[in-house]
Amino acid sequence: MSGRADIAMIEEYAARSPISKWLGFSAQENGADVLFHLAVDERHIGNALIRALHGGAIAAFLEFSAEAMLHARLHGERRLSSINADIDYLTSARAQNMTARVRLVRVGRRIAFVEAVGWQKDEASPVAAGRFRFRIGEEK
Amino acid sequence: MSDSNGRPEINPAVGAMLQSARDWLLHEHSLFRTLDLKPVLIGHSKATFSVYLPEDFCNADGKIHGSLLTLIMDSIFGLAAFTALDELKPIATINLRTDYLADIAPGGRVACAAECRRLRGDVAHVAGDLTDENTGALIATGSGAFMIGTRGPNRESRL
Repeated sequence: MSGRADIAMIEEYAARSPISKWLGFSAQENGADVLFHLAVDERHIGNALIRALHGGAIAAFLEFSAEAMLHARLHGERRLSSINADIDYLTSARAQNMTARVRLVRVGRRIAFVEAVGWQKDEASPVAAGRFRFRIGEEK
Repeated sequence: MSDSNGRPEINPAVGAMLQSARDWLLHEHSLFRTLDLKPVLIGHSKATFSVYLPEDFCNADGKIHGSLLTLIMDSIFGLAAFTALDELKPIATINLRTDYLADIAPGGRVACAAECRRLRGDVAHVAGDLTDENTGALIATGSGAFMIGTRGPNRESRL
C-alpha cells in the first residue's frame, strides 16, 4: 500500500477519534512511508516552569500514531484494542512540535507488534520511543 | 502508623515536598484542569488521585483511548516518586509500561493509586493501577522508572 492510500485511511480514522484533535494530530505522506505530527499547544505542556511536553502527551501521540498506521494497513476493516504499551523517554522534549515514524514489526492474524519513534528537531536524535501490542479483532 | 481514618501518616519531613508537589500540580495547569485531579491520599512514597475522564480523549469507538490512562499514570507515578525523596530534586520519567485491562467510557472518574516501591540510588521504581470509581473494576496497571536529580530545568528534567 502506498503512503497516499495510508493517509486517506489515517485521516478517516483520526476524524472519528476525538483524541486526535486533542493531540493536534496529522499525518503526511513521505514516499512509501508516513510521518505523523503533533502540533504543540498549551494543553500538552507538563510543567509550565520548564516548558516541556508532558510525558503522557508524548506517549499518547506515539500510541495513536502506531494505532492509526496499523488501522490503515489493515484497510480499516478490523477492530483494534490496545493490549499494553512501553514508552522510553530518551531525552527531554521541549515545548515544540513533534514528529513520529511508525514501524509495523509484526502483524499477525490476532496480534500486532508496533513501534513508534518520535523526535523534534532531528530524526537522528529521538526524544521518545514506544512499543505497542494490539489485539486485532474480527472484521467490522 | 495511621491516623484516625486509617490513612498512613505523612512524615513531617515530607511536608515541604508536598507543598512543592501541590505547586507542581498547579503548574500542570491546562492539562490537569481538564482532568479535574482531586487528591485522595498523599503520603511518603504513595499518591492516590481521583481523575475525570473527558470525552476529548475518546477513541473511534467512543471509549476512553488507552493512552489517557498512560498519561494519568505518568503524572501520578511521578508524584509518588517525588514524595519518596528526602530532599527536593528534579525528576524525570525514564520509562513507563501500561497494561490495558478493560475499556472504560468517558464521563466517569478513575482512581489512580501509585506507590514508589523502591528508591535505588538515583532511580525510583514506581508501580500502580487505575480503577473505575463507579464499579471498582481494575482498568489498567502500570510500572515505571524515574530518574532522580536530573541536570536542571532547561536541560534534562521534564517534571
